[in-house]
Amino acid sequence: MSAVLKKGRKRPAAPARVPDLAARLGPPPAAPMKNPGLSRARLLELHAFMRLNRMLEDKLSALYRQGKIVGGLYSSLGQESISVGTAYALLPDDLLAPMIRNIGSLLVRGVPPLTLFLQFLARHDAPTGGKDGTLHFDDLERSIIGPISVLGTLIPVMTGASLAARMRGETRVALTYIGDGGTSTGDFHEGLNLAAVLNLPLILIVENNGYAYSTPTPSQYAVESLAAKGPAYGVASESVDGTDVLAVYDATRRAAERGRRGEGPTLLECRAFRRRGHAEHDDMRYVPRDLIAAWEKRDPLDRFEAFLVEEGHATRASLRAVAEGFEPVLEDAAQKALASPFPPPEEALRDVYYEAT
Amino acid sequence: MRHGTAAASGGKGRGRPRAVPRPEVPARPAGRLDDEDMPAPDDALLLKMLHSMKLTRALEYRIERKLYRQGKIVGGVYVGRGQEAISVGAAVHIRRGEGEDRDDIVSPSHRDMAVFLMQGVPPERILAQYMGRKTGLTRGRDGNMHMGDLRHRLVAFISHLGDSIPVAAGCALTFVMRGTDQVSFCFFGEGATSRGDWHEGLNFAAVRRLPVVFICNNNQYAYSTHVSRQMRVERVSDRAAGYGIPGETADGNDLLAVYDRVGRAVRRARRGEGPSLLEFVTFRMTGHSAHDDAGYVPKSEFEEWGRKDPIERLQSALLRRGLVDKPSLAGMEARIEADLDEAVAWAERQPYPEPEECLDGVYHEGGPGAGDGPQGESTAWR
Repeated sequence: MSAVLKKGRKRPAAPARVPDLAARLGPPPAAPMKNPGLSRARLLELHAFMRLNRMLEDKLSALYRQGKIVGGLYSSLGQESISVGTAYALLPDDLLAPMIRNIGSLLVRGVPPLTLFLQFLARHDAPTGGKDGTLHFDDLERSIIGPISVLGTLIPVMTGASLAARMRGETRVALTYIGDGGTSTGDFHEGLNLAAVLNLPLILIVENNGYAYSTPTPSQYAVESLAAKGPAYGVASESVDGTDVLAVYDATRRAAERGRRGEGPTLLECRAFRRRGHAEHDDMRYVPRDLIAAWEKRDPLDRFEAFLVEEGHATRASLRAVAEGFEPVLEDAAQKALASPFPPPEEALRDVYYEAT
Repeated sequence: MRHGTAAASGGKGRGRPRAVPRPEVPARPAGRLDDEDMPAPDDALLLKMLHSMKLTRALEYRIERKLYRQGKIVGGVYVGRGQEAISVGAAVHIRRGEGEDRDDIVSPSHRDMAVFLMQGVPPERILAQYMGRKTGLTRGRDGNMHMGDLRHRLVAFISHLGDSIPVAAGCALTFVMRGTDQVSFCFFGEGATSRGDWHEGLNFAAVRRLPVVFICNNNQYAYSTHVSRQMRVERVSDRAAGYGIPGETADGNDLLAVYDRVGRAVRRARRGEGPSLLEFVTFRMTGHSAHDDAGYVPKSEFEEWGRKDPIERLQSALLRRGLVDKPSLAGMEARIEADLDEAVAWAERQPYPEPEECLDGVYHEGGPGAGDGPQGESTAWR
């Protein structure tokens, strides 16, 4: 090849790619939401988690703009239904490994907002002691395995975790998340293939939010739907509207049942859209504005609230009261976290290497 | 869906008459490789392919059963006995000897000796390679199949299985960027399909619709791992649907089936319609390498697949057709053996590398692609 390069022939400029992004990435037609048999109390609980998810992230975003957050902040605006709906469909013992946009999954598992504020503010009392930011922490008592920053690597980890659970004779399933971009990584392939061959109860939630940083999905894969990847591994797969929390919940519940019955892994694509930049610093000028506008009309929280009101489970006033109830709780947690100390410098090297006790 | 415009612009007005512009091809659903015009091989080609298969087997027999046992081989020996139809039926489609804007490029696997021979590497050079001699392709630096030669458009085999897939995709990307109709041939086994590199390379080739023909020799064992422990799908070609490219499975011991499927995939790639994944089902009629007694493989499987030997099958078809007869086959075999006698004798006379040379060629020296090897070959691949 280098014989060719040697000649110094000028290469043509990179191709201008103008696929019809609006057609490929726009929201699919919306089907009416359907209650998969949840009681009123549980429906309202689902809603409360989604509302808390959004309000917590709004608060984190404000703190970021005040320069208080240490490190990056990755928003799940418009994807809360995926974090909350999937985590809510699991049993408390099931293994759960969130990714950076799954703060809602942690809330469902019972991680208090204060812990999350401490973590994002890099305070001494945070789970990582202020050494690492964002959601990069474990909580094994809550069966939470922390995200790995390198996308895709969590999948083989959760394949291994579900293998360990089966070897111990437990009926736990393991659930983790990946984005559309992460499906192109080798780890995705190796982890999912091994889970398929060993028939492990792995649930892989593919949050297809249209962009991997600035790469739109038409440059990421050449299939119509990421659910097409399932049959390539011999695993069950499905694609659902990620803005419909009830559809997400129901598909995850079925996947978990399948896993518990010993029928192996499931790949579940949830289609939504990343309505913020890759992280808070990113103005995402590469995303067509009309695309964002189209998805704003498909807001999962608005949809779910309209459903709850229409079906008579709640009133606009009662839903407003939920938000008003969270406001002082979150404000209090944020203030507590802001008042708590940073780690002392002499601790900087502690826990970097393993120390036998 | 695709990045085809680079190719379309790359072929125009740049004083390169033989470069074929790639048309914008509308996306079509992945599926079978329909191609009504795919021609069957003519008599001369059939005889050539029979010869290549026989030469490959005879050469590998010498290396694995004679020289290895005589302690003359440096390192391991991996042969493709029983899989020759795949290497030959595919390699015959590689365009060669027409210049750098025309020649295809190929990344063989470690069981594709025939590809080296058909690309023009003489048997004696291969023997020198296996014996660690100075005139081997790696000049005695690395053994066995870890060889390549860009003069013959052979990308050196990478020991880490699966690693050559992104490399082959990258080669194809250069063809698209330069607007030529060259094709990248990529060989691997079914075990490699579980590797992350395989996935990344295939997905990239699919997204960019690159002219790659992915050729899997499914010989049912990756070292001692049976294919049923390698994947949950029934066929390697089932994986193609996950990338949105055509995937087909055919009998890897049937030379004509291999010839036909690879031919279709190559024609498709040259038309600018992107990659294909071909699976050829065969059987590894040896251990993983010459030291491995394959005790983990049931004897009955060897017996069953021994009856499906690809050379025997082609030979009896050609006998029935009257293209060869017993005396002409015997003559072909005798000539191969005589040639190999000479090749072995030549290789055994070759010197080992000098100790003071051992650091040469470890790091890049000279200008890009400097042809500083003892045989004048490009060393760029090292």
